[in-house]
Amino acid sequence: MSDRMKLPEPIAAVVEESVRGVHRRVPGVTGCIAATVDGRLLEHVVDNTADPRRMAAMIGSMVALGETIGKEVRIGRSQFVVVHALDGILLMQRVPSRKELLVVATLARTTTNLGVVLHETRRAAGEIGEALDRWLQSSAA
Amino acid sequence: MNEPKLVFAGTMGAGKTTAISAISEIPPISTDVANTDLDAHAKLATTVALDYGEVTFGKNSKLRLYGTPGQDRFDFIWSLLARDALGVILLVDNSRPAPLTDLNQYLDAFGDAIEQGRLVIGVGRMEEFPLPNLEAYLEHLDARQLLVPVIPVDVRRREDVLLLIESLFRQIECLLEVTTGGEPEDDWSELVRTAREGSE
Repeated sequence: MSDRMKLPEPIAAVVEESVRGVHRRVPGVTGCIAATVDGRLLEHVVDNTADPRRMAAMIGSMVALGETIGKEVRIGRSQFVVVHALDGILLMQRVPSRKELLVVATLARTTTNLGVVLHETRRAAGEIGEALDRWLQSSAA
Repeated sequence: MNEPKLVFAGTMGAGKTTAISAISEIPPISTDVANTDLDAHAKLATTVALDYGEVTFGKNSKLRLYGTPGQDRFDFIWSLLARDALGVILLVDNSRPAPLTDLNQYLDAFGDAIEQGRLVIGVGRMEEFPLPNLEAYLEHLDARQLLVPVIPVDVRRREDVLLLIESLFRQIECLLEVTTGGEPEDDWSELVRTAREGSE
């Protein structure tokens, strides 16, 4: 049993660049993490001392809970989950792809515009999802 | 408090989701996602946050049933769900390479429940994988100075899961006899007593 998963190289390169890209582009972003839907760490940049492996597990749980709650309260599928805390924001979402296997989360200061955090997280998720789909397609061919 | 909480814990694939589905009177709520760790277990989906179900016990006592994720990376949820729980039902999968080592991890994690005598162990797949046998489990627990009921179960069977709950109730009652001379010491204990009286 491993809490860290090794991705095929073409996907790993995109995941790394996407995660680092969010962190690089937005000044108030203090971290970005990619993980599997079942909470295994893939890639991370985190400025504070939080344990990225534990974060990966928690992000997997939160995204799944958000989707379960969305269904239960009849508001449809959860798009993202936000923890707005005193000293920061954590925004989590699933990576859109044919096989929904991954999640991405961004950690930011409270002074960061939530819309920007959402936009950048979506962008990273989209890039990773496209890479995953390309790889799945080429593997199936 | 009239809707106590029971927690089903144990390794990935031990049958926590199945056990709750077997007895829940409402469609169980689950947080299953794709299992990406096929080295750990071959099953396709795995619980990553919790399972939830409800069952009526006795005349009017509703038990809320919570299942934990099995992988230890989710241990932050174990303690959240175990908080204020009436008891813990720990499921062990005897087909795994080292069930007693698995058991140790959960005994450590749910120490509070054990201390209060609110834990029962259900061992699954014992017919196909007879070792370790019940004696080995009891010796193992004895070495840790623990007196915990160990019951072979097939969690797909409703009666087996209810037997685990009944054993947990009995365990709590026995402990009450010893510690308080039979007087309920808190709301939970009072409720267990009421629920059991109602089911007799």
